Amino acid sequence: MAKVETMPTASPKSMSRPTQWNEEVEEAYRFQLAGYRDEIEYKQVRKTDHVDRWPHNGFIKKLIRRDGCFYYYDRTRECPDKQINKTKLYAY
Amino acid sequence: MMKTRQQQPCLKKVKQPGKVVDLRERVPFTQEVEIFDRNNLKKPEPPVAGAFKERTTGGTSFKKFYERGDFPIALEHDTKGNKIAWKVEIEKLDYHHYLPLFFDGLCETSHPYEFFARQGVHDMLEHGGSKILPVIPQLIIPIKNALNTRNHKVLCTTLKVLQHLVVSADMVGEALVPYYRQILPVMNIFINKNLNSGDGIDYSQQKRENVGDLIHETLEAFERCGGEDAFINIKYMVPTYESCMLN
Repeated sequence: MAKVETMPTASPKSMSRPTQWNEEVEEAYRFQLAGYRDEIEYKQVRKTDHVDRWPHNGFIKKLIRRDGCFYYYDRTRECPDKQINKTKLYAY
Repeated sequence: MMKTRQQQPCLKKVKQPGKVVDLRERVPFTQEVEIFDRNNLKKPEPPVAGAFKERTTGGTSFKKFYERGDFPIALEHDTKGNKIAWKVEIEKLDYHHYLPLFFDGLCETSHPYEFFARQGVHDMLEHGGSKILPVIPQLIIPIKNALNTRNHKVLCTTLKVLQHLVVSADMVGEALVPYYRQILPVMNIFINKNLNSGDGIDYSQQKRENVGDLIHETLEAFERCGGEDAFINIKYMVPTYESCMLN
């Protein structure tokens, strides 16, 4: 069931931890909950260009995990305060 | 008379004109009071009606289906336990089958059934769109059963689900109006269940576990989404409710 990643990935140059919530943090939190670093890795692993987003605010709506299961996200903020500094923001 | 005199040593038996009544027998409460009155005994307390008492439900079909592995969800027991991993896309699910089943699980109080039912309902409502409206009639009995348990946790969960349900899609609020007679009686019972803690801190407010407040929020959500007939129908079932839109 689990897909092994075979494509070469662009590795990030640095990582920082946020202290405050913003949309970028929310985006990273949603990808990392599903087991991906960020959108770039998700697109590489899933071999797709499409990511389901909520039309009104652009938050991630649906992600497919590495084992093929689906994670569905709310239309509003999901990242709780205590998870903010556990989220990782990667820079390339 | 002779018979009555012979039975006097037995304290449980008291006399009434014409016959001897054994108090261990079930007699109507009003008659019981009368008997005690005639015999100069202390009058009994009226029996407890048990309106607020918790009621148990038999095993739910949600539990049965879950244990049989019938739900398209991956069972995980990891530390970040606030999400359900769906094995199929929610958009492709048969809402007529699964949504009533998940609602049925709202009666559950034990882990993991309670979590999967609550989160499953949440995900299906959030992503259901127009598929929710046709299923409304099938949701009423599970909602009614959950409210009828009168269990604090179940009440809180169900009220939050109802608030989510009315805003989940267009016309859902209006579609619920004919079913107020089924849903609102329990809300009428608990609408005043509010802690009077003086100047102390009521932590249930922050955790959104105050049943009285949740009922008010739910009724207001019903009124806002229920169209023009909503208020009068709510008022009929919950007479102390005051409109949040007319005033």
